[in-house]
Amino acid sequence: MGADVLHIIIAVFLGLLILVSALGVVFLKNPVHSALSLLANLCITAIMYVALLSAPFVAIVQVIVYMGAVVVFVLFVIMLMDIRPADITERFLTPRLFLSLAAVVVFALQMLFVVATVKGGWIPTKYVHAGDLAKLLFTKYALLFELVSVLIFAAAAGAVALAKKRM
Amino acid sequence: MVMGLIFAIGVITFCIGALGVLIRKNAVVMFLCIELMLNGANMLFMAVSKFKGLIEGQVAVLFIMAVAAAEAAIGMAIITAFYRRRGGIEVDKAELLKW
Repeated sequence: MGADVLHIIIAVFLGLLILVSALGVVFLKNPVHSALSLLANLCITAIMYVALLSAPFVAIVQVIVYMGAVVVFVLFVIMLMDIRPADITERFLTPRLFLSLAAVVVFALQMLFVVATVKGGWIPTKYVHAGDLAKLLFTKYALLFELVSVLIFAAAAGAVALAKKRM
Repeated sequence: MVMGLIFAIGVITFCIGALGVLIRKNAVVMFLCIELMLNGANMLFMAVSKFKGLIEGQVAVLFIMAVAAAEAAIGMAIITAFYRRRGGIEVDKAELLKW
Protein backbone atom coordinates (compact mmCIF):
# COMPACT_ATOMS: atom_id res chain seq x y z
CA MET A 1 0.00 0.00 0.00
CA GLY A 2 2.94 2.33 0.65
CA ALA A 3 3.96 2.42 -3.00
CA ASP A 4 0.40 3.23 -4.01
CA VAL A 5 0.24 6.26 -1.71
CA LEU A 6 3.60 7.36 -3.07
CA HIS A 7 2.26 7.14 -6.62
CA ILE A 8 -0.75 9.24 -5.68
CA ILE A 9 1.46 11.88 -4.08
CA ILE A 10 3.69 12.00 -7.18
CA ALA A 11 0.65 12.23 -9.45
CA VAL A 12 -0.86 15.12 -7.46
CA PHE A 13 2.45 17.00 -7.35
CA LEU A 14 3.23 16.60 -11.06
CA GLY A 15 -0.39 17.32 -11.95
CA LEU A 16 -0.37 20.62 -10.08
CA LEU A 17 2.86 21.64 -11.82
CA ILE A 18 1.42 20.66 -15.20
CA LEU A 19 -1.77 22.64 -14.64
CA VAL A 20 0.07 25.74 -13.40
CA SER A 21 2.41 25.73 -16.38
CA ALA A 22 -0.52 25.15 -18.75
CA LEU A 23 -2.33 28.16 -17.29
CA GLY A 24 0.91 30.08 -17.73
CA VAL A 25 0.86 29.32 -21.46
CA VAL A 26 -2.62 30.79 -21.77
CA PHE A 27 -2.49 33.76 -19.43
CA LEU A 28 1.04 35.15 -19.76
CA LYS A 29 1.03 38.16 -22.03
CA ASN A 30 4.49 37.93 -23.52
CA PRO A 31 4.71 35.14 -26.15
CA VAL A 32 8.24 34.28 -25.03
CA HIS A 33 6.99 33.62 -21.50
CA SER A 34 4.20 31.48 -22.95
CA ALA A 35 6.71 29.44 -24.94
CA LEU A 36 8.92 28.94 -21.88
CA SER A 37 5.88 27.89 -19.86
CA LEU A 38 5.05 25.34 -22.54
CA LEU A 39 8.63 24.12 -22.28
CA ALA A 40 8.14 23.56 -18.54
CA ASN A 41 4.84 21.80 -19.21
CA LEU A 42 6.41 19.39 -21.71
CA CYS A 43 9.33 18.72 -19.38
CA ILE A 44 7.06 17.85 -16.46
CA THR A 45 4.97 15.68 -18.77
CA ALA A 46 8.11 13.77 -19.75
CA ILE A 47 8.92 13.33 -16.05
CA MET A 48 5.42 11.96 -15.52
CA TYR A 49 5.89 9.48 -18.37
CA VAL A 50 8.99 8.10 -16.68
CA ALA A 51 7.81 8.26 -13.08
CA LEU A 52 4.25 7.01 -13.38
CA LEU A 53 3.55 5.59 -16.82
CA SER A 54 6.76 3.51 -17.23
CA ALA A 55 7.53 4.77 -20.74
CA PRO A 56 11.13 6.00 -20.83
CA PHE A 57 11.47 5.89 -24.61
CA VAL A 58 8.46 8.10 -25.26
CA ALA A 59 9.70 10.50 -22.59
CA ILE A 60 13.06 10.80 -24.36
CA VAL A 61 11.36 11.33 -27.71
CA GLN A 62 9.17 13.98 -26.08
CA VAL A 63 12.24 15.81 -24.79
CA ILE A 64 14.03 15.63 -28.15
CA VAL A 65 11.13 16.35 -30.51
CA TYR A 66 8.88 18.67 -28.53
CA MET A 67 11.26 20.50 -26.23
CA GLY A 68 14.26 20.33 -28.50
CA ALA A 69 12.69 20.98 -31.89
CA VAL A 70 9.19 22.41 -31.77
CA VAL A 71 9.52 24.90 -28.91
CA VAL A 72 12.95 26.09 -30.06
CA PHE A 73 11.49 26.55 -33.53
CA VAL A 74 8.66 28.66 -32.11
CA LEU A 75 11.14 30.69 -30.10
CA PHE A 76 13.14 31.37 -33.26
CA VAL A 77 10.03 32.63 -35.01
CA ILE A 78 9.14 34.85 -32.04
CA MET A 79 12.68 36.21 -32.17
CA LEU A 80 12.26 37.02 -35.87
CA MET A 81 8.96 38.82 -35.18
CA ASP A 82 10.72 41.35 -32.97
CA ILE A 83 7.83 41.96 -30.56
CA ARG A 84 8.28 45.01 -28.36
CA PRO A 85 6.58 45.41 -25.00
CA ALA A 86 4.54 48.25 -26.48
CA ASP A 87 3.03 45.85 -29.02
CA ILE A 88 1.46 43.64 -26.35
CA THR A 89 -1.96 45.15 -25.92
CA GLU A 90 -3.98 42.04 -25.24
CA ARG A 91 -6.48 42.07 -22.40
CA PHE A 92 -8.23 39.06 -20.96
CA LEU A 93 -11.21 40.31 -18.96
CA THR A 94 -13.65 40.47 -21.84
CA PRO A 95 -17.06 38.80 -22.31
CA ARG A 96 -15.31 36.41 -24.68
CA LEU A 97 -13.29 34.98 -21.79
CA PHE A 98 -16.39 34.07 -19.81
CA LEU A 99 -18.26 32.63 -22.79
CA SER A 100 -15.24 30.53 -23.78
CA LEU A 101 -14.78 29.47 -20.16
CA ALA A 102 -18.39 28.27 -19.98
CA ALA A 103 -18.01 26.23 -23.16
CA VAL A 104 -14.70 24.73 -22.05
CA VAL A 105 -15.99 23.85 -18.56
CA VAL A 106 -18.99 22.04 -20.03
CA PHE A 107 -16.66 20.13 -22.35
CA ALA A 108 -14.30 19.30 -19.47
CA LEU A 109 -17.14 17.94 -17.32
CA GLN A 110 -18.35 15.77 -20.18
CA MET A 111 -14.88 14.41 -20.84
CA LEU A 112 -14.24 13.78 -17.14
CA PHE A 113 -17.52 11.88 -16.99
CA VAL A 114 -16.42 9.78 -19.97
CA VAL A 115 -12.97 8.95 -18.62
CA ALA A 116 -14.46 8.11 -15.21
CA THR A 117 -16.16 5.13 -16.82
CA VAL A 118 -12.91 3.62 -18.17
CA LYS A 119 -12.23 0.29 -16.55
CA GLY A 120 -8.71 -0.94 -15.96
CA GLY A 121 -6.28 -1.68 -13.22
CA TRP A 122 -2.97 -0.42 -11.96
CA ILE A 123 -0.33 -2.51 -13.69
CA PRO A 124 2.93 -2.72 -11.73
CA THR A 125 6.00 -1.22 -13.35
CA LYS A 126 6.80 -2.95 -16.62
CA TYR A 127 8.90 -0.60 -18.70
CA VAL A 128 8.17 -0.31 -22.42
CA HIS A 129 11.54 0.07 -24.09
CA ALA A 130 12.44 1.07 -27.62
CA GLY A 131 12.65 -2.55 -28.74
CA ASP A 132 9.09 -3.31 -27.71
CA LEU A 133 7.85 -0.29 -29.60
CA ALA A 134 9.98 -1.07 -32.65
CA LYS A 135 8.56 -4.59 -32.88
CA LEU A 136 5.10 -3.09 -33.31
CA LEU A 137 6.13 -0.04 -35.29
CA PHE A 138 8.03 -1.89 -37.98
CA THR A 139 5.65 -4.79 -38.45
CA LYS A 140 2.03 -3.88 -37.88
CA TYR A 141 2.33 -0.15 -38.47
CA ALA A 142 5.17 -0.16 -41.02
CA LEU A 143 3.04 1.34 -43.79
CA LEU A 144 1.82 4.08 -41.47
CA PHE A 145 5.41 4.82 -40.50
CA GLU A 146 6.43 5.28 -44.13
CA LEU A 147 3.40 7.46 -44.77
CA VAL A 148 4.38 9.69 -41.85
CA SER A 149 7.82 10.13 -43.41
CA VAL A 150 6.15 11.22 -46.66
CA LEU A 151 3.96 13.61 -44.66
CA ILE A 152 6.94 15.22 -42.96
CA PHE A 153 8.74 15.57 -46.28
CA ALA A 154 5.70 17.22 -47.83
CA ALA A 155 5.36 19.52 -44.81
CA ALA A 156 8.99 20.60 -45.06
CA ALA A 157 8.66 21.33 -48.78
CA GLY A 158 5.40 23.19 -48.17
CA ALA A 159 6.96 25.25 -45.40
CA VAL A 160 9.79 26.33 -47.68
CA ALA A 161 7.30 27.24 -50.41
CA LEU A 162 5.08 29.19 -47.99
CA ALA A 163 7.84 31.15 -46.33
CA LYS A 164 9.49 32.30 -49.57
CA LYS A 165 9.63 36.02 -50.20
CA ARG A 166 7.60 36.02 -53.42
CA MET A 167 4.58 33.79 -53.41
CA MET B 1 -6.98 6.36 -8.10
CA VAL B 2 -3.70 7.14 -9.87
CA MET B 3 -5.41 6.29 -13.14
CA GLY B 4 -8.22 8.73 -12.47
CA LEU B 5 -5.76 11.46 -11.52
CA ILE B 6 -3.75 11.07 -14.72
CA PHE B 7 -6.90 11.01 -16.85
CA ALA B 8 -8.09 14.20 -15.13
CA ILE B 9 -4.72 15.90 -15.70
CA GLY B 10 -4.85 15.04 -19.41
CA VAL B 11 -8.44 16.23 -19.85
CA ILE B 12 -7.83 19.49 -17.99
CA THR B 13 -4.63 20.18 -19.94
CA PHE B 14 -6.58 19.69 -23.15
CA CYS B 15 -9.30 22.04 -21.94
CA ILE B 16 -6.84 24.75 -20.90
CA GLY B 17 -5.33 24.53 -24.37
CA ALA B 18 -8.77 24.86 -25.95
CA LEU B 19 -9.48 27.89 -23.75
CA GLY B 20 -6.23 29.46 -24.92
CA VAL B 21 -7.14 28.92 -28.58
CA LEU B 22 -10.49 30.56 -27.95
CA ILE B 23 -9.39 33.63 -26.01
CA ARG B 24 -5.93 34.56 -27.30
CA LYS B 25 -5.41 36.77 -30.33
CA ASN B 26 -1.70 36.26 -30.82
CA ALA B 27 -1.24 33.62 -33.53
CA VAL B 28 1.97 32.23 -32.01
CA VAL B 29 0.32 31.74 -28.63
CA MET B 30 -2.67 30.10 -30.31
CA PHE B 31 -0.22 27.71 -31.93
CA LEU B 32 1.38 27.00 -28.54
CA CYS B 33 -2.07 26.27 -27.13
CA ILE B 34 -2.67 23.77 -29.95
CA GLU B 35 0.54 22.05 -28.88
CA LEU B 36 -0.82 22.03 -25.34
CA MET B 37 -3.99 20.30 -26.55
CA LEU B 38 -1.93 17.69 -28.37
CA ASN B 39 0.07 17.16 -25.19
CA GLY B 40 -3.10 16.56 -23.18
CA ALA B 41 -4.29 14.02 -25.75
CA ASN B 42 -0.87 12.35 -25.57
CA MET B 43 -1.21 12.04 -21.80
CA LEU B 44 -4.56 10.28 -22.20
CA PHE B 45 -3.10 7.90 -24.78
CA MET B 46 -0.19 7.09 -22.47
CA ALA B 47 -2.47 6.56 -19.48
CA VAL B 48 -4.74 4.18 -21.39
CA SER B 49 -1.67 2.41 -22.74
CA LYS B 50 -0.40 1.90 -19.22
CA PHE B 51 -3.61 0.89 -17.56
CA LYS B 52 -4.83 -1.46 -20.27
CA GLY B 53 -1.38 -2.98 -20.79
CA LEU B 54 -1.31 -2.13 -24.51
CA ILE B 55 1.70 -0.75 -26.39
CA GLU B 56 -0.44 0.63 -29.23
CA GLY B 57 -1.12 3.78 -27.24
CA GLN B 58 2.57 4.66 -27.23
CA VAL B 59 2.78 4.04 -30.98
CA ALA B 60 -0.09 6.49 -31.40
CA VAL B 61 1.78 9.01 -29.27
CA LEU B 62 4.83 8.70 -31.51
CA PHE B 63 2.69 9.33 -34.59
CA ILE B 64 1.06 12.34 -32.92
CA MET B 65 4.50 13.76 -32.19
CA ALA B 66 5.55 13.32 -35.83
CA VAL B 67 2.39 15.02 -37.07
CA ALA B 68 2.88 17.80 -34.51
CA ALA B 69 6.37 18.44 -35.84
CA ALA B 70 5.03 18.66 -39.40
CA GLU B 71 2.28 20.96 -38.19
CA ALA B 72 4.83 23.17 -36.45
CA ALA B 73 6.75 23.60 -39.70
CA ILE B 74 3.64 24.52 -41.69
CA GLY B 75 2.16 26.72 -38.96
CA MET B 76 5.32 28.72 -38.44
CA ALA B 77 5.68 29.19 -42.22
CA ILE B 78 2.11 30.50 -42.41
CA ILE B 79 2.67 32.83 -39.45
CA THR B 80 5.89 34.15 -41.00
CA ALA B 81 4.16 34.81 -44.33
CA PHE B 82 1.24 36.44 -42.51
CA TYR B 83 3.56 38.68 -40.51
CA ARG B 84 5.36 39.74 -43.65
CA ARG B 85 2.13 40.73 -45.39
CA ARG B 86 0.18 42.31 -42.53
CA GLY B 87 2.90 43.55 -40.20
CA GLY B 88 1.59 41.76 -37.13
CA ILE B 89 0.58 38.38 -35.81
CA GLU B 90 -2.75 39.27 -34.25
CA VAL B 91 -5.46 37.15 -35.84
CA ASP B 92 -7.71 40.23 -36.00
CA LYS B 93 -5.59 41.32 -38.91
CA ALA B 94 -6.76 38.33 -40.96
CA GLU B 95 -9.82 39.77 -42.64
CA LEU B 96 -9.60 38.61 -46.24
CA LEU B 97 -12.47 36.16 -45.87
CA LYS B 98 -14.34 38.12 -43.20
CA TRP B 99 -18.04 38.47 -43.97
